[in-house]
Parts: sequence; structure tokens; C-alpha cells
Amino acid sequence: MMKMMTRISLLALMASAGTALAAEPLNAKLIMPGGRSWEGQVIGRDGDWLEFATGRTQAQPIRVGASTIEELQFDVQLDERALARFMEGRQFAEVIAALEKTLSAYAPYNDIRSNLTKYNALLMELYYRVGEYGKALALAEKVAADDRDEALQGKGRTYHALSLVGLGRIADAEATLRSYGWEQPAAMGSDPAQLYIQAKLLCTKNEFAKAMETVAMIVAFNSQNPDWMQPAELLCAEIYTELGLLDSAGEVVREILLLYPGTAEFDAAQELQHRIDKLMIDRQFEQPEQPEEA
Amino acid sequence: MNVFQRRGGHPLRVAFFAAMAATAVHAQDFSQLGISDLVGVTDRMLQRGDYKSAIPALIEVVSRTAELNDEAGRKTAQNARFELARSYFQTGSAAEGIKVLEEYMANEPRDRERQALRMLAQGFFEVQEWAKIQETATRLLKFPDLTDEDRFIGNLMLGQSYFQEEKWAESVPPLEFAALHAKEDRIERACQLMLVRALVESENWGKLFGWVQRVYRTDAKYDISLNLTLMKAGKAQFEKGDEEHKNEYLNALLLYRMVLPREELLKHSGTRQKSLSQKLADDTQRGIPQTEIDERQKEIDALNESMDTLRGLPPYEQEVSFRIGQIYAEVKRFWEGFVIFDELFKEDATGEIGETSLLQSVLVLYDLQQYDRAEQRVVNYLDERPNGRFARTLLSLMIRDNLNRKQYGRIAEFQKYVDELPPTDDADERSAEADIHYMSGFSFFLNRDYPSAGAQFKKILDDFPESDYVPNSTYFLGMAFLMQGEYAKALPFFQTYQERYGEGEQFASAMFREAISLFGAGGLETDKEKAAEMVRQSEAIFTKFIDTFPDEDLVSEAYSMRGDIEAAKESTNDDPYPLDRAVKDYRKGIDTAKTQFQASYAAFQAAKVYQLETKWQEIIDLMKYYMNRWEDQADVAQAVYWIGQSQIELEQVQQAVEAYVDAIERFGNEPAQFGVDKIIGELVKVAATHLSPGDREGLAIQLKLKLANVAESMPVLKLRYQVAQAMLEGDEAAAALGAALLSQEIPLEVTSPSSLALMCDAAVSTGNAAEMKRLSDYFIEHFEESELLWHAYRARAYKLQAENDNWGVLAAVDEAQGLFGVEPHMGWAQLLKAETLYRMEKYEEAEEAYNTMMGVPQWRGPLFAEAYYGMGKCRLGRQDLEGAHAFFQRIYLLFAAYSDGDWAAKGYLAAADCLVKLGREQDAIKTLQDMLENPYTKTNPLAEKVRDQLKKLGVQ
Repeated sequence: MMKMMTRISLLALMASAGTALAAEPLNAKLIMPGGRSWEGQVIGRDGDWLEFATGRTQAQPIRVGASTIEELQFDVQLDERALARFMEGRQFAEVIAALEKTLSAYAPYNDIRSNLTKYNALLMELYYRVGEYGKALALAEKVAADDRDEALQGKGRTYHALSLVGLGRIADAEATLRSYGWEQPAAMGSDPAQLYIQAKLLCTKNEFAKAMETVAMIVAFNSQNPDWMQPAELLCAEIYTELGLLDSAGEVVREILLLYPGTAEFDAAQELQHRIDKLMIDRQFEQPEQPEEA
Repeated sequence: MNVFQRRGGHPLRVAFFAAMAATAVHAQDFSQLGISDLVGVTDRMLQRGDYKSAIPALIEVVSRTAELNDEAGRKTAQNARFELARSYFQTGSAAEGIKVLEEYMANEPRDRERQALRMLAQGFFEVQEWAKIQETATRLLKFPDLTDEDRFIGNLMLGQSYFQEEKWAESVPPLEFAALHAKEDRIERACQLMLVRALVESENWGKLFGWVQRVYRTDAKYDISLNLTLMKAGKAQFEKGDEEHKNEYLNALLLYRMVLPREELLKHSGTRQKSLSQKLADDTQRGIPQTEIDERQKEIDALNESMDTLRGLPPYEQEVSFRIGQIYAEVKRFWEGFVIFDELFKEDATGEIGETSLLQSVLVLYDLQQYDRAEQRVVNYLDERPNGRFARTLLSLMIRDNLNRKQYGRIAEFQKYVDELPPTDDADERSAEADIHYMSGFSFFLNRDYPSAGAQFKKILDDFPESDYVPNSTYFLGMAFLMQGEYAKALPFFQTYQERYGEGEQFASAMFREAISLFGAGGLETDKEKAAEMVRQSEAIFTKFIDTFPDEDLVSEAYSMRGDIEAAKESTNDDPYPLDRAVKDYRKGIDTAKTQFQASYAAFQAAKVYQLETKWQEIIDLMKYYMNRWEDQADVAQAVYWIGQSQIELEQVQQAVEAYVDAIERFGNEPAQFGVDKIIGELVKVAATHLSPGDREGLAIQLKLKLANVAESMPVLKLRYQVAQAMLEGDEAAAALGAALLSQEIPLEVTSPSSLALMCDAAVSTGNAAEMKRLSDYFIEHFEESELLWHAYRARAYKLQAENDNWGVLAAVDEAQGLFGVEPHMGWAQLLKAETLYRMEKYEEAEEAYNTMMGVPQWRGPLFAEAYYGMGKCRLGRQDLEGAHAFFQRIYLLFAAYSDGDWAAKGYLAAADCLVKLGREQDAIKTLQDMLENPYTKTNPLAEKVRDQLKKLGVQ
């Protein structure tokens, strides 16, 4: 019943987004340099020209050079509360589908500064979460290039680097970190996002001990940072497993299951626990029997 | 909302209008007003919010209607009571309001019971009657159709009341509800903080950690009381934690992790305090009720108080971090613990927490098997702070780790730190230091540095008499002397051990070693009677050991040692059968052996005894018995060697040769089977002495075929076949093979003693010092027990000669002679010693060394000629021409036949030279002419030179 209701809500979410599909004019506010702005609708795009109808009618649209536009603030029909609920329920695939569908209507205007960055950023994160690193990378580059919101830009850079690591493009990831000035050695005051990236990078290079020391710094010195503690703890458990320190890995998993119920990390930790249990059993069988004392 | 303003008309007005006549109203004297006027006045006061003025009016209404029994009258009275209570609350007279509400609740009708209960609960809150709040709020919450607001207020009141009474568990559900449903941030925050406190106090960890996550996404995390609560609770959990209570450690960890540093808390609270004060000032100016002013001022005062409390606390950040680190390490989250300890150490390297953190970080690194890193830390610490608080502990850790990993050589490098340790009276420090010395001693011992081992054990005996290591140190000091062959020094320690430590774990071993020491000391004693007595005592103790400890691991060796003693005895009329007793002991040695080495020693010693008695069949039977008893573990190659020897003696030569060839094939690919190399040597000897030329040819062909057919996967066997083949051909072929193997740079892993011997000799012949070192080091390290090992010592000695290290040469020669004595093949050692002394211009000592060779019959031959030549040179060095001439003369008189006359020719030339220097030229010419006539020297290459010389002198 819960699932049915959730599905209905999701459909509603998507339906409302569906009103902004391509071929339909898009409600938006056109902002030009100097603070001049008009409410209206984006009718379409013709190469470098944008057709914009002021007011809510399609009469007499104006043509505006795309490169001259300061910003387009689209009236995105997306129920953010529902979105948050789905995120809480870890229904990432469904949220991705809804966002993709919603944002597809705005695709022709992706090169113009708009208020879509935050949605792109969310989609970017979701792509990363589900392992679609290529797609995450494409969006991350866009988000990282938008300097209007420092926090979002930072997020874009973070996922830019993480996506490159996810794709195994080590050299590119390292070059990216250098370009951001993020290549400093890990230390107590380091930004947790940068530590996380460094740790992931080291894992890709199979330098698990160093990776563990790096990610440990997030856990040790950023325990009040809820955004990075969860992924860091999970990464700790994964790396301990790679290092063969199964007791340590098991302890971290125990803490994740206690502290972060109902999260993606909780789900991942449960799966990891199965792997750890299997490894422990294999290890028991591999150990030779202790000889009896003479 | 004003309760009196109802859509359906004013109830008071409706109820009384019909009953009462209107009366003119005087504002202050309500007693004169008619009831409807009274009601009207009251209503207007309430509408304009003049609660204070409304109170006397409402009191008047209540007093006039309280006794009415009709429905309308009671309703009016109740409404009046309700409004009166509300007015009291509005004007800050909560106590009065409560009384009126209680009256309301005691009467009917109670149309606004819900609101009344709310007000009552709030009233009780103000006067802090917690139990009554609970009663009232509980009653409110049972109402059906409550509004969200009512439910919220009810839970809020209920939760807070329980909280105030420290009924933590009871307060959780209502506070949780209030926290989840609060609309105002301020109230939500307050509820969260109370809830977290209640969860901590009621130890509801599961729920707590879920809530803490939420709290820590808000500024509530900066609440000082929250942080103090978390610290206190964390400490309590930490102190309960141990091996069996790991959950408490986890709880402590999760609590401590949430505590913020003091500076951060004060900074945030300071900003908040300023902001609240500013807002209060602004809102006060705008006009807010006094009650709200008071409430908000209370909040600011509470904040200031908590900041003062925080400032008054001693610094806690490091201690909290340290505990977190400890917990991480305890629950095996090693890296997390490490980074914390590392940071604490960096922050304050010389403080107590800093140094303790360093120690903890080292312990964690060892847990993580990051040995190099741990060691670097310890070394840095010891270099910078040799007197540091944890110098001994860290040094002990480092030594123990290296001991466990068998890195004995490393431990020697740490001795400088041991020597730098300052004296101490602290019992724990002394115990740690005794640990260090004991472990060092053990390491030196296992690394065969017995003098250093002994020094460490002696240190414990001398400086740490209270240590638990004293008994073992006594024993091992004796062992250190024993291993150096210092039997007399070793003996008292084994005796002392037995006297003092009857229950000690080494008691049996001490008895055995006492017997060994007596035996060894007896061997070195020059006084024959004393020597005999020592050996007799040794024998008695071996017997005592065998009788007392028949199941001890060493009993086989005790039998073998006693067998050796018996075998060394001469048969007498009184005691004709010592050899029989020796053999019996050796057989017991085989039977009681716990290791292959013990069995092998006994078996082969018995074989030697039988050899003395020429009991060849007994040897064959014994070897078969030994091999059956030990099967795969037996030294089969050695056993086959003995069988072969015996078969040869029994003229079963073909069987012996077959057994040898078979043993080479079976065991030849195992480098550690030294017996195979011995068999190769014996096979060559047997071929030379017992086989006909035809049989020798057949054997050579057989070996050639085997070599051709050996699998590539058996390189060691292949090489052994090559050696056997070359040695069978002769010395020149063997030397050529050695040179070829050297130039091919074959990997040493496929070599064995026989091939290494040839290669060592080739390296010496070619003067290749690097190869001499490489080969001799490998040979000595891997084949210490081989009888061919002397080739390695020879190469080592000649390598030192090539480096002009004269003293090194003398020491190497001493070592080699100590191991191999005056075996027939050891003449080179004495010769090298004499040559070295000559080079050092120690002519007298050199001559003595040369002369010593004359006393060793097994060196008779070219070596004697060379020795005489050397003595002649020594006399020349001492300007004794006559003496030199005499030595040179003896060479061609006594040893002309050796080395194709080479030495004789040299002797002639050197003698002639002396005569010339003595001015006896005619005698010199005569000497040279004799050389040309001597059949041994006349065709020597040197003879041509002599002829030319004589021609120049005009002599034919």
C-alpha cells in the first residue's frame, strides 16, 4: 500500500514536471544585464537567438541573443518536498528519471546561465551515487563552471574530481585536483571533501594503507560534519576490508548500522557485512590446523 | 483569539439579558452594576485587552453567578471563571489563575475544558508544579479531536515536566513529539536539547544517536550544556568500558565525537548572546509583553551562565581527543586512532598527553604492521629525548618487535639507546629495562653474537637482582660462554642455576649443559689428571641426567655424549669394552632421538666406533636400522656413504659404487644433502683405488649418460654430476670446471658444497677477491656442516690477502685452523699464516710458523719444500746469509723430487745467490753447475736461465 502510494506520488511529481516538456513554452523570467527583467515564456531557440514572449501569452515574442542574457530563471515544476521524500526513501533511480525528464525540456538552453544549476547539481550527485560516473562528470563540469553560488560550485568541483576517480582516470583526476589547488598533503585541517577525494584516488591506485590514513582524518577530525562522515565511514569499512582487517571493518559497519539507519550508507554497509562474513569464513578454512604440542 | 467574541452572539449577554434589568454602570464600582451591564463592561475590557481591569469585574460576575443552578447561570459562571483565569494568566498571576481554573474544572459545564487544561498546564509550569502538569497534560492528551496546537502544547508541557523532575525515560516520548512538531525554531531547538539530555541520562543509545545526527545539522550543536552533558556521559561510558563491555566504549566514542572545542563553543555562544540581546532590545522598544521580555532575558542569562561555566572548566579538548583515540584503538579502528594520536603528539610533543600519544601511536602502528614507520618514530624520539618518559617502554617495544620478526641484527643497532638510558629507581622503569636487556641478550644469542649476549645477561644479574629474568639469565649467560667454547666460565652458571632454581624451567637443561661444560673444559685442560677428572664428572652427570630425565628432549644427546666419552676410553684389562658401551649409548641415542640431527649424530658416531673396530657389517646393519627408524627424515646420503665404505672394506666394491651412484641420483638435487658431496668425493677415491681402468671408464660413461639425461628441472643434480665427472677425470679437469662455473656466473641456489669448493678454489687461483667473498659467504651461510667448508675459509683468507689485510688474514687462518685443525688439506692455512708474517717482516714468527709445518706428517710433500724455502727467506730477512743458505740447500737435497723439481731449482738458485752475497762466487758457480747436473732439475724451465748466466760468466 505504501509502495502504491509512493508510486502515485512519484507519478504526480513527474506529471507536474511534464507540463514543462519540450514543444511547450517554458515559463521563465528573463534577466538582462543592468537588472532589467521580464516575466514571460521562452518560446524556443533558433541558433544563437532565443525567442521570448513577455507576459503569459505567445503574442509578439522578442528575439534575444543567447550570449547577451544575464540569466534565465525558469519556473521549474518540481515538487521539492516530494523529491526530498524520495531521496529519504533512497529511490534514486526514480528521482533521476524525474529529474532527467524535467530537465530535458530545458536542454536547449543549457548554455545559458539559469536557476537550473541546483537541479543539475542534485542530478550530478545522484548519478555519482548510482555509479554513472560519465554522466556525473558531464554535469559536474557544468556546475563547477558556474561561479554564482560558491557552495554549488564547490560541490561541482568535488564531484568533478570524484567522477574522474570513479572512471579510473587517475591522471586527469590528479590534474584536476592540482588545478583546484587541492593537492596539498592530507592534514588535520584539510577540507573533508578533499580528503575524501584523495582517499578514493589512493584506492584506485591500490594504495590502501595511505587511503585509510587519509579517510581516517575525516572521521577523526570532522565528526560533526554529517555530510562527509557518512560516506567517510563507509569508505573506512571498505578499505579495511581491502586491507584484510576484517575485525576493523566489522566494527565500522556496526557503527554505520547503528548511526545511519535508512540511509544509502546503511544499505551499502549491510551488503558489505555479508562480504566480510564470507571473507571471515574463507579465512577460517584457509588457516592450517594448529599442531598439537609435543 | 478573544473567547468572548463568538459568532453566535455573546453568551453572557444572551444568558442574562432576559433575566436581569439593565443598570447604569460606574467604571470602578462593579458591585453597583446590573449583571448585564457588568457583563458588557467586562466584555469591552477583554476586547481591548485590559485584563487587569477586567479581573475585578469578572470576580464580581463569578460571585454573583456561582450559586446559580440553572443551565444558563452555570454556563455564565463557568465562562466568567474561564475568562477570569485567562486574565490572571495574562497579567502574570498564574497562581490565582490556577485556583480559578481548578474551580472551573470542579464545576459544570466545561465547554472549554480543553483550553482550560492547556492553561492549567501552562499555569502549573510557571509555578513549577511538575506533578500537576503531568496530571493535567495527560488528561488533555486523552481528549478526542485535539487540535495540533493542543497536542503540541500537551506534549511540550508533559515532556518538560518530566524533564524537570529528571524522569528521563518518561520525558522522551512527549519531548520527541514536541521536537518533531514545533513550529518555532527556538522551541524546536529547546526540545531537541532536552530530548538529547533525556536520552543520554536514560542511556537510550539507539534513539540518542539518531537524534544527535539531526541536532548536529543545526546550530543546536553549539549548546554548551549539551556539550557538557555529552562529555559527562562520554566519560561515564568510557569508564565502564572494557574487554567485556565494548558497547560502552562505542557509546563513549559516539558521545565524545560530538563534543566541540571550547573556543568554538564560546565563539558561537558569544555571537548568539549578542544577537539575542540586540533582538530583545529592539523588540522591547517595539513593545512586547513583560512576560516575554522576562523569558527571553532568562534565556540570555542562562547562556551567559553556561559560558562562564565553560570558561571555568580546565582544558578538555586534548583529553577528549585522547580518549577518542584510545577507544578507536581499542575497537580496532587503528587508523582513526593513529591520526588522532599523531595530531596530539604534533600539537604538544613534550607534554604528558603528547608523549603518551606518541606511545599510543607507536602501539597502533605495530598493530597495523607498519614496522618501519613505528621504528622511525621510536628512533626519532630516542634521538631527541633519550631521557624521555617513555624511552624504556618504546625501546622495549621496538626490540620485542624485531625479536619477533627475527631481525636480530637490527637489535644490535639499538644498543646505543640502551646504553644512554639514565639510572632509575622506579620499579616499572627498572622492569622495562630488564626486559630490554633480556630481549637484547636473546637476540644477540640467536644472532650468534655470544659475547654481546653474555654481556646483556650479566647486566641483569649484576644490576637487576630483583628481576624475574635472573634465573634464565643465569642459564643463558652460561650458554653464551658455552657457545664460545669457554667451558670453564660456563660451568659455574649451570651449577648455580641447579642450586638455586630447582623448579626452574631450565633445570634439566642446566644439568645437561653442566655435563657438556665439564666435558669441554676437560678437553682443554692441560693437566692430564684434572682433565680426566672433569671428563669423569661429565660422564657421571650425563648418567644422572639420563636417569632423572628419561623423557627430556636432550636425553638422546646425553646418550651420544656419554657414548663419545666411552669411545674415547682406552680398553684396559679391567675395562676391556668401552667401545661396546659407546655403541650401546649411541643406539639409545638413535632410539630416544626427537630430531633428525640427534639421531644422525648418534648413528654416525656409532659408525665411527664400528669403523675403529673394523666391524663393517655392523655398520651396514646400523645404517639400515637408522634409515628404517627415521625414513624420510634420515640423512640417507651420509648413511649410504657409510654403507658404501663398509661394503668396500668387505670387498663389495661394485655394490658400494652402485649404492653411491644411486644415492647421488636420488638425493643429488637437494643442496642440503651434504652426504651426496661426500659420496662424490668417496666415489672418486674408490674409483682411483679400487676400480680397474675398464671399470673406471664404465663409471665415467655411466655418469656421462646420467648427466645427459638429467631433467632441466634438477639443476642441482646436474651440477653435481658435472663435478663428479670432472673429479673423476682428475685435478686439472676439476680445476677447469671450477673456473668455467665461475665465468658462467651460475646462480648460487643450484650449487652444493662440492661445486662451491671448486669455485672457491678457482676464485683463489684467479685472484678474484669479489668472487672469493661472494662464494665463501654463501658457502658458510648455507653449508656450515659440510666437511668441504674449509674451501670457503681458504677463499675468505685469500680474499683478505688480496686486500693486503694482514691481520685479517691471520684471524681468518686462526678461525679456519680452529675449525679444521691439521687435516691433510689444511696445510695451506699454516703456509698462508707464515707467508703473512713474513710480509709483515715478522721474520722470527714467520720462521716459527713455517717450522710448525714440519711437525705435521700429513703435510709431508711439496709443502715441506715450500716451508723450507720460506724459512730461508726469513733468514735472509734477518740478514743471516749462512742460515738462509742452509735452508735453501736442504730443499734440493731433501725434496728434489717434489713438484717436478721446481722447489729444488728455486733452492739451487737461492743458495747460489746467498753464496755470491757471502763472496763465495766459486761455490755459487759450483752450486749452479750441480743444478744443471741434477736429473730432477736439469730440465726445469729455470735451468735455461742458469745456463745463460753461466755462459755470461764464461763458465760451461
